[in-house]
Order: sequence, then structure tokens, then C-alpha cells
Amino acid sequence: MTAAAINRLGLAVFALFTLAAPWLLPLVVDGFWVDIYSEMLIWSLLAASVNLLFGYVGLLSFGQALFFGMGMYGVAIGVAKLGLGFWPAFGLGVVLATAMAAVAGALAVRLTWHYFAIITVVFSLIFYFTALSWKPLTGGDDGLSFSMPPMLALGDDWELSLTDSTVQYYFIILVVGACYALMGVILKSPLGWAFRTVRENATRASLIGLNVYLIRLTAFIAAGFIAGVAGALFAFFGRYASASYMFYHVSGEAVVWAIIGGAGTLLGPVVGTSLLIVLREELSHAWEHYLILVGVIVILVVIFAPRGLGGVWHALVRRVARAADEDAGGGDGEGRS
Amino acid sequence: MSGPILEIADVEKHFGGLAALGGVNATVESGRLTAIIGPNGAGKTTLFNVVTGILAPSAGTIRFLGRDITRSSVHEISRLGLARTLQIKSVFHGLTVRENLWIAAQSREGVFKPFANAKTCRRANEQADALLEELALTRLASQQAANLSYGDVALLEIGIALATEPKLLLLDEPICGMGPAETERTVEKIRELSKRIDIVIIEHDIEVVFDISDDIIVMALGRVLARGTPAEISENAEVRSAYLGDDDA
Repeated sequence: MTAAAINRLGLAVFALFTLAAPWLLPLVVDGFWVDIYSEMLIWSLLAASVNLLFGYVGLLSFGQALFFGMGMYGVAIGVAKLGLGFWPAFGLGVVLATAMAAVAGALAVRLTWHYFAIITVVFSLIFYFTALSWKPLTGGDDGLSFSMPPMLALGDDWELSLTDSTVQYYFIILVVGACYALMGVILKSPLGWAFRTVRENATRASLIGLNVYLIRLTAFIAAGFIAGVAGALFAFFGRYASASYMFYHVSGEAVVWAIIGGAGTLLGPVVGTSLLIVLREELSHAWEHYLILVGVIVILVVIFAPRGLGGVWHALVRRVARAADEDAGGGDGEGRS
Repeated sequence: MSGPILEIADVEKHFGGLAALGGVNATVESGRLTAIIGPNGAGKTTLFNVVTGILAPSAGTIRFLGRDITRSSVHEISRLGLARTLQIKSVFHGLTVRENLWIAAQSREGVFKPFANAKTCRRANEQADALLEELALTRLASQQAANLSYGDVALLEIGIALATEPKLLLLDEPICGMGPAETERTVEKIRELSKRIDIVIIEHDIEVVFDISDDIIVMALGRVLARGTPAEISENAEVRSAYLGDDDA
């Protein structure tokens, strides 16, 4: 079996589990884990947005919660203040987040490394405090809650709405799945390879004729879009938006999820996010200092598995594939990433 | 193209009070292999940096293929057909040898194609494979560039430059740090390439320079001290005393 085949199998198992989770999970654990699982998938998109920038373009952003927040407020304000329906509100959230990323990115990607990290924090803080103090629009400290508009209504007696928990679950996995599929396509395209060259060596990238600034900006906007979709989904999930989700702690958590999951691997963020949210759910009420454990895990991963759990998975798969290969007597190995 | 492929006129570059280039005038003729020599600090690499847009000149103009590129950015200059290698070998370490060549070839086709699959970009694929063959790197195709020997990295860097289909190739000390066998292989490659691409080479190895070049530009203290054929340069008394260190001249 080749490495690619093993990866496809792993992906299929993961996809089947996700599809069947509303029935499977209650058989093993409490039913509320279905909700937690869909929440994990939403948050994993925020980690994926960090990963797209850090893992593929080499830009470490501590401000992705800003775009998450824009997606979230776009939906909440759209429904609660502007009286928009489901889809226009969803669109408003995503467009706001993407536009914000275009503006912030145009300035931020002129910088790299710590300067870039700092300016992303500054941007998110500015809008965090704006959201906190602009009470009439955002609800300030209290946040902004809304009642769920229907996705689709036919006649007077039939409508599709996220108030149905099954509809909500499948809507979430459909959107999250589409985002990962989109990233998968982009990362296999010439643009995705241009991302990696900028990560590896920006000078050489420009010397072969690549516009490094434009490539970084494109990645920044794409990452803002992904974070915006996550925020919009999260608003629908909680029927609520709050400035606290825009704070840079949230951005920092996403960085940790991405690094533990494996920066530079497409699905690493799902693994990192799931693992740490499970830890939080299981440990936080038993032991209030559970973040110490998270810190230890981060340190261990950074030292012993710099490519994160995703990197560990790929190394294992390669080893298994090679062993199988040798048994079968030769054949070419598969390339990475 | 009848005129010179590269014209450098009165180019200055100051770092604070220091004039790294103090008014350089030089031309590179098409069809001839030009070497730039000079002691350390003469401004050779700074000149390459200014020509390729990595540094903006403080004064002067640079024309490539008759076009003013003085204020053009690095990637624009590359797209006009000017490629270069760096003194400290510069490749994409985390990518495989083939991926290194592939992305350089694809840069000519455009990379803002987010929905095309890299595997189906035929021209870049063919070009990457052809270059692997030409540079005898096929056996290393799926190796990460970080794992290559020094000589193979240098070769790969030349390959990356070639993948961009340059009209003019600037090589900055291509054989520096190589053993005799690798040096010979690389010099042969440069000689062969110079038949189809115009090349400017910065090199310290005087024997190699006199062996392969048609024109030599001698630089010292940020200026051009002399230029001419190898025969003329070796006869030039000023160069002999200033650079070649010939005391009994």
C-alpha cells in the first residue's frame, strides 16, 4: 500500500466517522459530545486559517480571531439589527471578514516575523475594543444574541432551519468540509506551491519572478475568508456574538492548535483543535490549572515533533508504506506534502 | 539585438557614508561571456544586487535589453529574462529538487491559478523533467533540497535560474567552495550554457576566469578599473599592479 493510499483510507475513516457521529457518539459517550464535535470542527477552521498562513506561507499571525469576529458579528448584526435572512447574513459575515483581511493584510504583509505578528495583534486589539465599546451595534460586554432565521422556507408549513439539531450538524460539516476541500485544491495548485516557496525562501521566490507581496496578501485574504466562515458558523451555532471571541487569547489558542496539529499539513489543525478541546472539556472543571498541561504538550511537540501530530502521522504512514513496499519488493515511494 | 544586453551607466550605491559603488559604467555584450573580477569589497556583488533590483541604486541608470530597469522590482526584472544565483547558495530547502525546478518553470506561466492542479501544468512539468535530465539530477528528483551535497545545491540553483528561461544569467561565485571535480563539472556546464544564454560571472578563481571568459571587467573600490579581453587584461599594467599583484611589472 502506498502512502497516498493510506492517507486516503485515513481520510475516508474520518469522513465516515464525521457523517455518522450523530448516531455513533451517543452510543459511546453523552449526547452533548455531538455538539462539542461540531464546535471542534468550527474552531478547527480558525486553526486552519492560522495554518494556511504559518504552515504554508511562513507568516505567524496572532490576530486571526479578528476575522473570526468579523464573520461572527456580520451574522449577528445582520440578523438582529438589519433583519437579514439566513443566507444574506451568512454572506455579510464572510464578506466583512474577507474585506477586513484585505485591508489589514495590505499593511501587515509588508512585514514579516515578529513585526508581522505584532501588527496582527494590534489590529485585532483595535477591533476588540471597538466591538466592546460600540454597544448599540455590538451589545458590548453582553454580546448580541439573535433568533435563528430559517435557511429555506417552502410555503407556510415547511422550513429548513438550524433549530433542527440534525440540520445544524450536517450544515456545519458541509460548510467545514467545503472549506477544507477548497484549501486542499488551492494547496495543490501553482498558487499553493508559490505559497510554499515564499515560506521557504522569499528572496529566491522573488528572484524567479514571483510577486512575494501579492502572494502573501492572497494567502492573508484566503486565511481571513476561512476564519470568517468559522466565525459566521459559530454565530449560527451559538445564536450569539461576543467581543470576547475577538480577543487575542482566541488567536493565540488557534496558533497552539495549529502547531500541535501540525503546521504545514492540511488536516493537522483538526487534530490539534480536537485534542485540545477534548482536554479542555474533560480537564477544565476537574483541574483549574489544566493549561499547565497544555503548555507542557506544546513544549514537547515543538521540541520532539516540530511538524506536529500531522507530521508524526505522515512520518508513520511513510514508514508503514516503505515496510509494505519492501515486502512487496520495490516500487517508488510517494513524495511529501 | 544589436546593442549591449545590459548597460550600466554612472551607477552609485551608498550605504550611509560608504560608497560601495562610486559611479560604475559597464556594458555587457550579447554573445560573449563576461567575467567580473576584483578584490573583496570591490562592489561586485553589490553591482549584481543593484542590477537585479534587490538594492535600489543611489544614482545612475540600468538598462536591460534596452529597457530602463533602474526602479523595477526584483520579480519584474526576473520576468524580463534576467536570472541570477547568489553567492550563498539559495534554493527552496524544504521542497524536493523537482519541486524547486517546477515552481521556477511555472513562474513563467503564472502562479495565480488557485484551481489548477499542479500535476496537470504540462509545460512546467516537461521543463522540470528536461532540466533534471540536463543537469543529471534525475536520480535526486524526489530528494529534499536540504539533503543535497554542496555541489548539487549549486547545480540546482543554476537549474532554478535556467527554468525561468533567462536571456541573461548572472552567476555570483558559482564554483566557490567546490572541490576540483565539482569545479570542472560546473565550469563545463557554464561554458556550454554560454553558447545559448548570455552570462556574467563573478569569480575569484583567475585561472577559470581567463579560461572561459570573452570579456573581463576589473573592479576595485566600487569602480571599474579596466575592461577588455583576457589578453588585454593580462597586459594591463594598472590591473597587474592593483589586482594581480605582479610586483616586477
